[in-house]
Amino acid sequence: MSILIVQQSAPYGSSNAKEALDIALAAGTFDQEVAILFTGDACYQLLADQNPKQIDQKNISQMLKALPIYGIENILVDKESLEIRAIKELDKDLNLKQVSKREIKSLYQNAKSVLRF
Amino acid sequence: MSLSILALGSPFGTQAAYSAYRFTKAALESGQQIHRVFFYQDAVHTGSDLATPPRDEFNLYQAWQELKIRFDLDLVVCIAAAARRGLINETEAKRHDKSNSNLSEHFELSGLGQLVEACVLSDKLITFG
Repeated sequence: MSILIVQQSAPYGSSNAKEALDIALAAGTFDQEVAILFTGDACYQLLADQNPKQIDQKNISQMLKALPIYGIENILVDKESLEIRAIKELDKDLNLKQVSKREIKSLYQNAKSVLRF
Repeated sequence: MSLSILALGSPFGTQAAYSAYRFTKAALESGQQIHRVFFYQDAVHTGSDLATPPRDEFNLYQAWQELKIRFDLDLVVCIAAAARRGLINETEAKRHDKSNSNLSEHFELSGLGQLVEACVLSDKLITFG
């Protein structure tokens, strides 16, 4: 894998979620092998039925649905982060794979570049 | 070994941009090759031609420009992140019908493809966020 993008931030409190996603999409456009990992408060990006229109923001989970169109199928979420936050249901259209701490370690080891936001 | 630098933090509000500068300078002075320095998120303000710190403070904006001239560095500011934050060059000013521009001539505006390319072509990418 060439680029691992680690999303650590909640969807709307900062520009991190959107600006990290923009890198993922750019890397996809340039045919790079990309994985995107959601950990910590970034798990909240993956909830279904978000309604950010009320704060004049674009829906992050809708934007994440574009990832496969850009050739990014490796969309991972930190199992432990979900458990800590008692998040039991994620947006089903996102095709997420839950990963353990051990799998995350090997993701970091196998990536050429890691970008964390 | 060739390195690329990704700067994310704002030039005055965080130490990130200063640390990125110190690292880049030290690397170049010890003979390392810096493929590119990419400014993203609030670090795009590093490219401002209008920043005027008080005379008795370190001028990080000028320091980057001097480093660029001394080592012929590739300093790239993300065009989308910069436009959102009010940092544009003359070409972009014309395109968006603005009467002024404020990007220093020592910085180039370009897309995220330049960051992706830096990830691929450099041996290591080092982030200062």
